[in-house]
This record gives sequence, structure tokens and C-alpha cells, in this order.
Amino acid sequence: MRQFFPVEDLARDDRFVQTNMAERMSDTRSAVDLQRTAKSRGASNRLTPDRHDASDAARSLMHGIMVGEIQALEGAGRTAHDFDAGDGSEGTIPFELKLDMARQAWDEARHVEISVKLSDWMGTEIGQFQENTVLFEAACSNDPVLRLAGVNRALEGLAIDVFTQMKEFGQLADDPFLEFCEDWMLADEVTHVKMGSDWLRRVTENDPDRRAKALDFQRVVDKLFSFGGARGESEESPIGLARRFRELAGFTDDEVDTIAGMDHDALEERKEVVRLARETADV
Amino acid sequence: MGADTTTDTATDTSRSHVRAPFAPWDRRDLPGSFDVAETARRVGNYKWTEMKLFEALGGWVATVPELDIKMRLGTHCYRHAWHAELWHKRLPELREMKPERLTAPANDAMERFVAAMTEPEDSGLTIEKLVGVYRVLIPRFIAAYTYHMNNTSEITDAPTIRSLKFALQDEFDDWRDGELMLQSLIKTPDDVRRATEHQAALEDIMVEAGGITGPGSIGPVQ
Ligand SMILES: [Fe+2]
Ligand SMILES: [Fe+2]
Repeated sequence: MRQFFPVEDLARDDRFVQTNMAERMSDTRSAVDLQRTAKSRGASNRLTPDRHDASDAARSLMHGIMVGEIQALEGAGRTAHDFDAGDGSEGTIPFELKLDMARQAWDEARHVEISVKLSDWMGTEIGQFQENTVLFEAACSNDPVLRLAGVNRALEGLAIDVFTQMKEFGQLADDPFLEFCEDWMLADEVTHVKMGSDWLRRVTENDPDRRAKALDFQRVVDKLFSFGGARGESEESPIGLARRFRELAGFTDDEVDTIAGMDHDALEERKEVVRLARETADV
Repeated sequence: MGADTTTDTATDTSRSHVRAPFAPWDRRDLPGSFDVAETARRVGNYKWTEMKLFEALGGWVATVPELDIKMRLGTHCYRHAWHAELWHKRLPELREMKPERLTAPANDAMERFVAAMTEPEDSGLTIEKLVGVYRVLIPRFIAAYTYHMNNTSEITDAPTIRSLKFALQDEFDDWRDGELMLQSLIKTPDDVRRATEHQAALEDIMVEAGGITGPGSIGPVQ
């Protein structure tokens, strides 16, 4: 088995259809349906059961969660595999970090089990929606610290936001099954993000350049997921920013503010693109 | 409150607390087959091999297309990491203050075994991956752990026995999962040939290694 495993080779059965971030970004359909928002629901675009497209949107999101969990499982497994135990320098990671990655692999395996059952419960079939492989892409770096920043902090931070939203969706929809499962997955994700925060700090304690590089990478990934303003504090974003749980997971107020700022900018950018597109169409 | 030897014990409440240090049902015995250094050596071999196993399982998750097997491998990955952690923590208690020093394969053949076991990567080789782990390596773990548990001192080495029992429970569960997965994958004569040929190739190396802790893994070498 190779030491590093490229995203193109991820093994899937025939039901799965994969796409990547570049393809997703070139998709002109907006993550935020601004026209619908403006017409039918005032300013709010939050994923709540009263949205006219709630069940489709929730199903699509749950499928996205499921494939994200598969990649999180694969990414954690690879990090447990790819680096020898050592002091954290020269391509090694501390033994205890390897153990944490193995633990995360188990947690993510349970998340796949949960989200497969939830998808089934919600009437979604495996492969019904495309799989974006961006999470595993972030887990392919040769520097384990970048993996911690990109996967554990940026993407699993996003998972905290998504699960918080889905838990609320379950509450509002009177679906105790959904709410119960999201509650448990949220607890695990807070643990994984905290794991990332703690290890990033520890491994880069005496290497400020490496830490800065990792945090830059985290911002790049965070920005990717701000695209279209799909996640943000504005009610126009379908997914909220779960400040309290992010704090539990080791994010500082400044860090959450930075993410909120990126989300805001992305939403405004998207609105501008949509406005220009409409003007062009009208002409 | 000295004991009065002239009093009938049946009626003397002051003597009712006097009991044999080992209750009649406690048959644990002092002698054991391993001294501290030998125990540490074996535990170091266990840790090394459990590490190689959890790394392999973690690495393979991305390479297997079968979703149920992907999830099982992720689950089992953690269990073997936990065993490695148990052994890692046991080593300093066995006077090895640098656990890395004894975190080693039993011999060169064991190292070659792990290299051969972890070689399959292609998504079409799930049978080979599972055979190496569940039909060759894990049975060897069950054997070595059982031998150790039954031959070490039940009193002086109780902490190792406790960890062995936890690990063995997982090994049995994992072996059963692995065997079920294999039986569900092996459907044609060609599958049977693939499984048995791969198993034989790996067994050859394992026999040369003598088991997880080398010759003597399951008893004195004749
Ligand atoms: Fe997860
Ligand atoms: Fe996670």
C-alpha cells in the first residue's frame, strides 16, 4: 500500500457519483436561492421545515453529510497510517495523535452508519446526489498539521454548523429521530475539532511558520465553504454559524469572527453575481 | 482485641473477621513463566504488531469499495490502536522507561510478514486484505495472548492479564467480523483460490517468524 493515497483513487461502489470542488464552483446554480428567498420568505433562507423545498434540501444535505462522513473516516484512517510515530517533525506525528486519529476513524464509521440510516429514514438512496470529494482532498496533504487545520478545524468546524442546523431542523419538524442522531454526532464533531485545535497548537509549539502555514490553509478551506454564502450568521444563509459549539471545540472569538466575515463577504459576492446575471438577462 | 484461642470460634464474634488471605474459591497461583524483562519484550512485540495492524486497517479504509467493510475496518482500526495504547502504557511499568526501545517486531520475518500483509492496495483486492488480517494475523494474536494469559503469574502480572483479557475479547469479535466478511465475499472457485493462495503465502512467512513474539509465542521451543 502506498504511503499517500490520492483522492482520484478513493474506492466506491457503483452507486456513487463523484465531483470535486472545481466542478462545484463552476456550477452556476447558487447554494443560496436568492430569488426564492426574496419572493417567498422574507429575508430568511435558513434550512427550516417551513421552507417549501425543505424536504428536498434536507435530503440533499443529509446525503452530503453521509459522503462527508465516509471521507472523514477515510481521511482519519489515512492519517493514522501515513505518518510514522515520532516527535512531530520530519513527516512523523506523535504516537498519541495516531491513536486519536484511529479513534476518529471509529467515530466517523459510526457517523456513516448513522447517516446511512438517517438517509434511508428520510427517503434518500445512496448515490442519489453527487459526492464532492473536497474533504478527502484536504486530508491528502503531506504535512499532517495541514490535515489537522483543513479537516479537523475547517471542515469538521463546518460539520458543527451543519449538525447544529440539522438538530434544530429535527426539533422544528418534530422528528425526534433526526434530532437525537444529530445531537450525538455533534458531540463527536466537537471532540474532533477540539482534537485538531489541541494537536495543531502542540505540534507547532516551536514552529510559528508551520503554524501560520496551517492556519492559512484552514482559511482557504473555510473560504471554500463560505462560497455562495451557504453558511453564515445572516438569515439568508441556509446554515448558521454555531458559535457556542465552536468555542467548546477550541475556536477563539477572533477566529469565529474571521469565519463570519468570510461568510458575509461570500454571500455579498454571490448576491452581486446574481444581480449582474439578472441585469444581463433583462437586457 | 487479640484472638482468644481458648474460645469456641463458632460463638466468638471477635474471631469472625479472621479469614484465610486467599478465599477457598481463589485458586490464583504465584509462579509464572515470564520474568519482568521477558514480559516487557513480549509486550513490546504486541505493541509493534498492534500498531502495524491499526495503521494498515486505517490506510485500507480508503481503498475498499464495499461500504460495510469500509466501516468495519474503521471500527477495528480503533480497537487495535487501543491495544497498542494499553501496551504502550504497560511498558514503563515493566521498567522500560523508553517504550519506543522495545516497540519492535519479534524478528525480521515478522517485519517481512507485515510488509507482505499490507501490500495489497487495489480496490479489487479486498479478499487479500481481509485474509491477511483475519485469517492469519488475528488468529496469531489470539494464540499469543491466550498463551501469555494462561502462563504468566496470576498475582505478580495481574495488570498484563487484565489488558490481555480486554484485547482478547476484541480479537475474538474482530476475527468473527472478518470471517463473516470473507465468507460473504468468497463466492467462486477463483475467490477460494485467491484466498487460500494468499493465506498460504502469508502463513509461510508467519511460520518462519514463529508468531507475534517469535519462536515461543505459544510455548517453549522444542
Ligand atoms: Fe463525522
Ligand atoms: Fe469528525
